[in-house]
Amino acid sequence: MLFKKLFRLLVLGGAMVGSASGCAGAAQGQSASDKKADDRDGGSPADGGSATAQDADGGAADAGGGGGVPGW
Amino acid sequence: MTDEVRRLAGAAWAFRARVEREASSRFVRLAAAIPAFDPGSPVVGLLRRAAADEDRHAALCADLAAAYGGPAGATPVDASVAPRTFGARDAVLYEMVAACCIAETESVATLATLLAGAAEPRVRSVVHEIARDEVVHGRMGWAHLAREAAVRDVSFLSAWVPAMLEGSVEPGIFSAGGPGSEPDELLRHGVLPSWRKREIFVGTLEEVVFPGLDKLGVPAAPARAWLTERLAGRVSPGGMR
Repeated sequence: MLFKKLFRLLVLGGAMVGSASGCAGAAQGQSASDKKADDRDGGSPADGGSATAQDADGGAADAGGGGGVPGW
Repeated sequence: MTDEVRRLAGAAWAFRARVEREASSRFVRLAAAIPAFDPGSPVVGLLRRAAADEDRHAALCADLAAAYGGPAGATPVDASVAPRTFGARDAVLYEMVAACCIAETESVATLATLLAGAAEPRVRSVVHEIARDEVVHGRMGWAHLAREAAVRDVSFLSAWVPAMLEGSVEPGIFSAGGPGSEPDELLRHGVLPSWRKREIFVGTLEEVVFPGLDKLGVPAAPARAWLTERLAGRVSPGGMR
């Protein structure tokens, strides 16, 4: 029950907020660095990017991999 | 209250104070970055307000930590958690999903669970005040993801969600014992026992985060596989190997 309510409140409610003011600009306007990322030049976690990305706090990556954000 | 409960409660509230301070810095940074590619986004104003909320939450948490004799808390660090190879727009999307769609969404579920229990009056008051704001903070991520998904392919994030989850969860949560393994009294002081935290974390992923990602163009299959591995105990907590 709690989770169903959260899905409606956060996911569906958030999507409605997001669509309230028109659309974001299309990706054609992205910078060169964004295009590079889109081309996956940066690799994906599968090539080892994320495996060493976590510090003790789950914070920023130290080798280009992605990390996470701790919550409550 | 036993010394152990006091120590655990103090440490938990000090940790939360740091998390809230870091969230404030992150939201300020993200609010400054979004207008470069989405000047009409309503998320920018929400992020600015959320940063002020998080400063207030940090003070509330620090006061509770001090009341329990907890540590002052480490200096907050504001660093992007996105892969360094990502361009600016992809990095913002990565952080919005990691910070809001995952961390803030999980926080709302935790806060709702704490509110449903019998907390000490001072703890309840703080949890109630924070919970009101965290709903909006969670929505910001889903709102930003929905806007991006409407104009471009966001499925590249799918493979990165396990890394986001890895960094969002407390090491050891999957190996913690069941009911009775930690003092029940902790709940009154605003701290969920690890087994309950695991239950909330998993339920929120399976019924809120994963369906939300699927719905908005980020296939959750890799994240589901990550969770299955964790629950089966096949991967040691704290690192993907």
